Amino acid sequence: MEGLLYEILMALALGLFGAVLFSAIGLVSGTDETTTLAPLTMLVVLLGAPPAGILTFFLAGAVAKHMTHAVPTALLGIPGDTSATALIGDANHLRRLGVPHVALRKMISGGAVAAVIAVPLAVLFAVLLAPFGDVIKQFAPWVFLCAAFTIAYFSAGRWASVLALLPFVLVIVALQTLTAQYGVKLAVSYFLGIAVAPLITSLFSMLAPAERERMRRDQYRVFSLAPDMKGWRGYFPNPLRVINKRQTRMTAMAASVTSATFVFSPVAMTVIMGELIGARIKQAYERLTTVITARNGVTESTYIAEALIPLIAFGLPLSPVAAGPAAPLFNAPPRFTVDSVSGEVNNLHNLLNNWEFFGYGMMAVLVAILIAYPFTMNFAHQAASFVSRRISHEAVIATFIGLVLVVGIWEGGLLGLLVIVTIGLLGGLLGRFLGFNIGVQFMGYYTAVLSVPALIALLN
Amino acid sequence: MSQELARIAATPPSADAARNTDNLYEVWGDTVDARHLVLAIIVSAIVSLGAYGLALLILGGLVESAQMAKAYAMLFGILGCLGGGAISAMLFKPKRDVVEHVADPAFREQVVGDLLKEYGSLGRLEDTSPEVVAELHELGLYELFRDAQAREEQARDNGPVEADADTRDALALSGGRS
Repeated sequence: MEGLLYEILMALALGLFGAVLFSAIGLVSGTDETTTLAPLTMLVVLLGAPPAGILTFFLAGAVAKHMTHAVPTALLGIPGDTSATALIGDANHLRRLGVPHVALRKMISGGAVAAVIAVPLAVLFAVLLAPFGDVIKQFAPWVFLCAAFTIAYFSAGRWASVLALLPFVLVIVALQTLTAQYGVKLAVSYFLGIAVAPLITSLFSMLAPAERERMRRDQYRVFSLAPDMKGWRGYFPNPLRVINKRQTRMTAMAASVTSATFVFSPVAMTVIMGELIGARIKQAYERLTTVITARNGVTESTYIAEALIPLIAFGLPLSPVAAGPAAPLFNAPPRFTVDSVSGEVNNLHNLLNNWEFFGYGMMAVLVAILIAYPFTMNFAHQAASFVSRRISHEAVIATFIGLVLVVGIWEGGLLGLLVIVTIGLLGGLLGRFLGFNIGVQFMGYYTAVLSVPALIALLN
Repeated sequence: MSQELARIAATPPSADAARNTDNLYEVWGDTVDARHLVLAIIVSAIVSLGAYGLALLILGGLVESAQMAKAYAMLFGILGCLGGGAISAMLFKPKRDVVEHVADPAFREQVVGDLLKEYGSLGRLEDTSPEVVAELHELGLYELFRDAQAREEQARDNGPVEADADTRDALALSGGRS
């Protein structure tokens, strides 16, 4: 009994910590989910947190970040993170109409509603899929190969991305062979390299004279910060009063649908659901506000479902979120491992049962809502003002470079660092010129570690 | 206060502290000063790697398992990153002009025009629920949409409007910032 109480308290504490930490990170635009969630979750895993605490930390962090990312998106017109890029068009319309506070309130209320719906549905879908788990585990290398090609085809690069998988996977295999010669085995370095790829590519571009000229600016960038408007009383406005019945219904529907479609990229699902819902609403203002509500809901539900379903049903990272930001829940050697040959898994999948996933998942979501929702409702303007006036982009970039250095050196010394830079530059260039996006790159990594050994075994 | 001091201390007296736009570049979605960026990266590298190395050195003797010592060292390394970032934020001010203003009524008309183009039609206020109408009244946007709707209907009565093809313009599938 005491053990259970300890487990619950630890889960609550780590959930709270995740929610507070990522509420703050969400305010800083440019902080991508993978670059922040993955290394910090990894750290929590390696420091020996109990399984339930690892889950609540990750989920509460993801949910909180997708609420506070609404602050730069709605008030400054810059996407708070990668998934917020899908919302920027709607947010800008509302900002220019002079009602950014409406965009903000609708977004976070939609997020709260969707997050609460997504956890039980994700667990339910996972339970339905679980019977196929053994078959999928047995054929894991081939499932990953198919998933990689599918995700590549649905990326912006279409066939270019499908074909570019070959050289990309080859480079990863080559790098692994090289580091193995020195007794170094890397995993996080590849993830981080992929996640910070656009930054690494930008920094390289700055050193090339022609590119540098293109990046040159002759004045400060102007941001118009929306004025502060508080249209409600109290500290915790009811989300169901902020959005109307139809918006609640649409958000719930979008969250339910996207809780099942866990193999597609969150950004793509956010765009598609917005289009589907928008087409059904005729009046422009209602359409705009309903779409932005549902879209932010989808950023929450896809993250929750894409992390939980593969984790509960298979224990294999079979979705873009599971392969990227949620990767440490699956694979954090030496504590959590996925065996490439046997498909044997040893991670949260084995350590928590369905009810625990449900219970701790709900706990994480509720903790995140209790922290991030009132904070965003009440202090959005001050927060956006502070971040835009005090936190320079130089500092943000420097922080990420620091992260790259520490993680690279930590995992593999100089070799780890070189791998991050190599993968970052390659991934960044492929992403920029071919639309070979980050989700495809993560799947490329898994193809290299899981499918390639199986392919070689087959050919021999 | 301490922030001001730090900034003055870091800026050489010869450089014009007010505004130097010679080295501005757009990197990773925002404007930076190239010299400040290089310095910030150096500061962050020293602080984060310093914290990591120091922690590894000290904890290596204190913690039994070498693996745990390394994991804790990484924790300090990450705290070092944040510390380095915080120092950089104090040393180098953002290259942004933040203006605060209320939306211009002319701007609003333009948004309605953009929405008409994007959606093909503004729809009818009569089709929405009373809640939406109340919300529009509360925000002072009701008249804007009512007038625009009337204009759109009038234009449609006067002759067929050319359909717009670029409804999906604003939606880009890729999430990259590059």
